[in-house]
Amino acid sequence: MLKKILFRNNTNFQFIFATIGSIIGLSALLLSFQLIMDVQSFHSSEEELFGPNTVVIQKKVTKLTTVGMNSTEFTPEDIQALRDKDFITDVAPFKSADFGVQIRELPGEGIPSFVFDGFLQSVPNRFMDIEKDIDWNWSENKDFVPVVLPKDFLMMINYGFAQSAGIPQLSAEMLMAARLKLVVHSSKGREEHVIRIVSFSNKISSILAPEAFLEATNAKLGEGNIINPNRVFIKTIDDSYGELEDLMEEMNLDIAKSAIDVAKVKTFIAVVIGIFGIAAILIVLLSLMGFVQYSQLVINKASYEIKTLLRIGYSIKSIVKTFVNQLSLIFGIITIISIVIMLCVKFFIVNTWLDENGIQLVESSIFPAIFIALGTFGLFIISNFLNIKRTVLNLGKE
Amino acid sequence: MQIEFKHVLPRPLEEYPHDEKSVWKNDFQLDFPKKVLLNASSGKGKSTFVNTLYGLRKDYSGDIFIDGKNIAQLSLNEWISLRKDKLSVVFQDLQLFPKLTAWENLTLKNDLCQHKTDDEIQEMLNLLGIGEKRDQLCGTLSLGQQQRIAIIRSLLQPFELLLMDEPFSHLDEGNTAIALKLIAQETDKNKGGFILTTLGSHHDFVYDQELTL
Repeated sequence: MLKKILFRNNTNFQFIFATIGSIIGLSALLLSFQLIMDVQSFHSSEEELFGPNTVVIQKKVTKLTTVGMNSTEFTPEDIQALRDKDFITDVAPFKSADFGVQIRELPGEGIPSFVFDGFLQSVPNRFMDIEKDIDWNWSENKDFVPVVLPKDFLMMINYGFAQSAGIPQLSAEMLMAARLKLVVHSSKGREEHVIRIVSFSNKISSILAPEAFLEATNAKLGEGNIINPNRVFIKTIDDSYGELEDLMEEMNLDIAKSAIDVAKVKTFIAVVIGIFGIAAILIVLLSLMGFVQYSQLVINKASYEIKTLLRIGYSIKSIVKTFVNQLSLIFGIITIISIVIMLCVKFFIVNTWLDENGIQLVESSIFPAIFIALGTFGLFIISNFLNIKRTVLNLGKE
Repeated sequence: MQIEFKHVLPRPLEEYPHDEKSVWKNDFQLDFPKKVLLNASSGKGKSTFVNTLYGLRKDYSGDIFIDGKNIAQLSLNEWISLRKDKLSVVFQDLQLFPKLTAWENLTLKNDLCQHKTDDEIQEMLNLLGIGEKRDQLCGTLSLGQQQRIAIIRSLLQPFELLLMDEPFSHLDEGNTAIALKLIAQETDKNKGGFILTTLGSHHDFVYDQELTL
């Protein structure tokens, strides 16, 4: 009965405008939030392996290097200079093997016969972000040595060696599932180890093994050469591309740029969607104001009824509750419609487009977006509740 | 219920001379249950008296006490509670909901207090001769019919004091007598009292006390 008295003749342009605005604003807000989450959850294989913001740097090889007048090695001073940079949070020179390395097939693993001469290096374990069920730590009594191979290795096998030797091509998954043989040798001896490929990397061009393995084998088979590092792993703070470019100039460096490019694109997309999201927040706020005005209008229209209800003994609470219940129903429908629109756009438009364009995103949970929708719902209800309560109280005092 | 006036004078009536027996600018006390008649000519402040005592007007000097409590100190929620359980009213301008039917106007009040059954309400409507008007929009009823709806509405709650501001101004003598009898019965049932303001007529009812303005 109260609803009938208080909400008669309530449909008006203000209401329709506020409702449409709320649906558009909230849908856009949820969609932009969800897309930012999806984009942020996208990691290149490099990031999965080494964590975000890791870069391998090396000095450029020049004509002077070739004639021996310029070294590509990083001196302790160079390393210290890198550590002193504000935007660099971690520095780790690659440790290199002081022995020869070969990779071969392991009989019985279904891999065609091949031999690959490589060079073994390692970085501290803190740079290795191996999430798979393979333990990167190595000790003498382990069955195999985990390694990361350069992606070029796979390319060489499939587009060079396999064709020339007439053997079938191998997928990355097949190689990672199989075990291989690692032969380490020097003038001091020769050892064979079983290895498993944990990942392939674009960032490194050597075979990456656990630091413990490299140190143990260097101690056993090392020729005693002191090798200054010529490649360094660094970790930077977010969005430090500018500083990195300056450093490249300053120290005449080469950087594997692919990982930086992915991060740049992610940031760019996040900024664009973020601007869209800010516009959506503004629309939501405007429609919220529209609703506050709408409820104010409804109250003003029903001011005689409200005053009379208070005069015949109806409580402020029951009148405010009638308004808030009705608005909750309206906002509830708006929130549900917005969530449905967001999910439809995400699954039927955005995801379809991504699939058609061959872009694979690890989908993030939709629950944070739903929490945002509920939060907006709460904001709508609380702001309207406060406004309605204040207005009804004032009418009661008239 | 005890009502006490201490030198009360509504501001709009400050310029006018007031009789020494007038309720204005004098001290008096009313202890209910009792039936009180407030008889005065037009413009003396009958509606002001009812609306001030009902807490709708605050433009007065002096003090009014209900059961020892200064009504100027009552919060809105206290007023609402008082109007629900102890103090009922028939406004001069009736204050019905014109877009609701007569029945809805009545059940709106009764739903709040659960004081009468539907049959009892229907009986009251029949008694006052508007039983067949129950489903008609209040705004389309004649003033006399609306007045009877307002009177019934005021009886659909428990009360210690019923304030009535010229409730029979649009009723003929026959209907006035029936309404007055119903009001007196309900007042006795509630063990309460009433203050009835009229414009000169005593409506032939026996009152316990008469106030003048």
